[in-house]
Amino acid sequence: MSLNKKPELRRSVTPWGSFAWGYSDVGADIFVGLGLVLASAAGASNVAFLFAGIVYVCIGLAYTELAATYPVAGGGQYFVTRGLGDVFGFVAGWAVLLDFTIDVALFAWASVDYLGQLITPFDSALHPWTHFIVVIVLIAALCFLNVVGVRESTAFQGFVSALDVISETLILCFGFLFAFRPDLLVHTMQTAWPNPFHLMQGISLAIVSFVGLESIAQAAEETQRPASIIPRTSVSLILTILIFALSYSNLALGMQTWHSLHDAHGHAIAFWQLFPTSSDNQGKAVALLAEQVPYYGWLAARYVPLLGAVLLLISSNSGVFGSSRIAYAMSSANLLPSTFKRVHARYRTPVISILVFTGLAAFETLFAALPTLAPAAHAFYARLFHGEDGIAFLGDLYAFGAATSYSFVFLALIALRLKEPLAPRKFKMPFNIPLVFRGERAEFPVIGVIGFIGIVSILAFTLATHDIGRVAGPSWLVVGIVLYMLYRRNKRLPIFGSAPRDWRTEQVDILRHSGELELMDEYVANVKASDARKRLSSGT
Amino acid sequence: MNPVEVTLPGGVIALIIATTTIAVLWWMMHPPASSIQRMAAEAESELKSLVGSIIVVFSPEIASAHMMALAAKLARGERSALTAIYVIEVPYTLPPDAEMPEEERLALDALGTAETIAQKNDVDLSTEVLKSRSTSQAVLDYAKSQKANIIILGSYREGKYTGAPLSRTIEFIAANAKCDVLIGVEGKHGTLLVDETGQATGTGSAEPRT
Repeated sequence: MSLNKKPELRRSVTPWGSFAWGYSDVGADIFVGLGLVLASAAGASNVAFLFAGIVYVCIGLAYTELAATYPVAGGGQYFVTRGLGDVFGFVAGWAVLLDFTIDVALFAWASVDYLGQLITPFDSALHPWTHFIVVIVLIAALCFLNVVGVRESTAFQGFVSALDVISETLILCFGFLFAFRPDLLVHTMQTAWPNPFHLMQGISLAIVSFVGLESIAQAAEETQRPASIIPRTSVSLILTILIFALSYSNLALGMQTWHSLHDAHGHAIAFWQLFPTSSDNQGKAVALLAEQVPYYGWLAARYVPLLGAVLLLISSNSGVFGSSRIAYAMSSANLLPSTFKRVHARYRTPVISILVFTGLAAFETLFAALPTLAPAAHAFYARLFHGEDGIAFLGDLYAFGAATSYSFVFLALIALRLKEPLAPRKFKMPFNIPLVFRGERAEFPVIGVIGFIGIVSILAFTLATHDIGRVAGPSWLVVGIVLYMLYRRNKRLPIFGSAPRDWRTEQVDILRHSGELELMDEYVANVKASDARKRLSSGT
Repeated sequence: MNPVEVTLPGGVIALIIATTTIAVLWWMMHPPASSIQRMAAEAESELKSLVGSIIVVFSPEIASAHMMALAAKLARGERSALTAIYVIEVPYTLPPDAEMPEEERLALDALGTAETIAQKNDVDLSTEVLKSRSTSQAVLDYAKSQKANIIILGSYREGKYTGAPLSRTIEFIAANAKCDVLIGVEGKHGTLLVDETGQATGTGSAEPRT
């Protein structure tokens, strides 16, 4: 036995563990996204969710296929590096890093918003400084826990996910059974239909509710029989989240609330009207909806805020964990300096990555909170960013980072279908056009193209409708690309090209280590048959 | 509180949400087994039927104490019926039911040790002393009468010195048994069985592996 064998991640994640891993990330999104979309898209919120949901299904299918074919840690960044080359892999990974830092800030923020439902001093509208300090303390605590290597157990994650799935299903079932009025839904859609600008804004924010499939791909390396399990967990996650998002948005628009709601002037208002004027309400939409569900709302009001806060905190933690993990993977692939893969001598964790990216998350939180903390900053934001601030700003950047990385993932999917047709795909997106590419039979993914168009349009909506996102998002990418070019030049690596790699050998290793021995045999047989065909045709 | 109104579309949607969510999660939790999982399941089911009844054999010439611990652990895991037998071989010079106090005393020691091991492992053990002209035939007859699934026995007592751990008796049992036979030969350093602390529990001396 070789003594210097590389340590490997243990494959201990079960189907439910894999689902919970993704759900604790994606499932938390609706707790934030619902309020944001209702505030922007008003009577067309369900349409915004439907549009984003269709794109999300395409993204989900793409990730499912790629994660099942290449079950390694690294997720989108790995697929793009493999399909499109190093520089695009860097851009995709850098965009995911932005998403993870936003994930930390946004979900820690929303977690405190939900706690504010139960603990009044945490209410951001009444006590902005307390709210801000608690968010920063939470981020610092997550940073510390990740540095010393403490992470919530998979069992705890599984328990919270199970509790949340049950709770959300009950909220929706009780809500539709006792509070849903189809005529009110139609009326709201007719009378509160937004202008195109707000509809586009709503769609770009609706994608926030579907971000996090990256987590399943990240967990692929630790999942038992990933090629078989991941398609099931991914498809289940896609369907569950889609059902919840579409149901919540329709229920919110057509809901006869259990208790009468009034605005500041004492006028009766519909449920969805709680959101456009209050960023505080936007951060805790699910809890507000749950307490308006007849009968079950009495119980839900007492525990859903806490459940939401815990789920959001887990999601925030997955941002800390994910950013350090992506940075480590990018550093190992020579896309980032080796500093990012340096591990702490005692705790064996990538301490520099954790500190850098949680520090960035804290800075983003400060930038988002500034208008509510300092009146002078409020005037500045109003003039420069049309008053956009707080949770909406974080939502913008979250959507930008996700849309950018997903765009590259679709391109990588198409490229890999053509470049690596021999890799066995246990799950394949439906609707493919057979063709011959460089002498090999390949299949062109139609849904990949549809998804690419969809996500690029959401990226365009984000840039068109969000003043801060338009500047901050592309700036992040430009800064990253400049740093990448300097780093690659310094390391004497190709700046726009890719470092040579033996993908065939790597694929055999990946399948062997993942325990997918049948697929490994199939891949080796495919490669041998292909080589034999090529030798025959060249006459050697 | 506002009046509660139940509508047909609302009820149908609620039903669809509940059934779809449950169906999707059920489907997710039941992936098809891979070929190695199927093979493992088959082997496991065979093992279950295999270890329904276990007999551990002791005799003056067969040392099985170290295998008793293994048998007890196996019996506990599989809830098997566990029996320890001690066979006293009666020479043809004596009548079949002759008193043999020295051998019977050794039998009590061996079976007492077996009971202690069984108690420690929280399994029920039945014990029996058999007298026979031939140890191997007695073991085979007893296993047949008890419908044993597996016979567990240790190695020939003098095996360590002669370098031949399997006596003719053991070979005969292994060759003629109608069920599986598990023979435990103590390794050179006696590390077949180790306890939680990594210390050898067998009778042989423990030396670190190199």
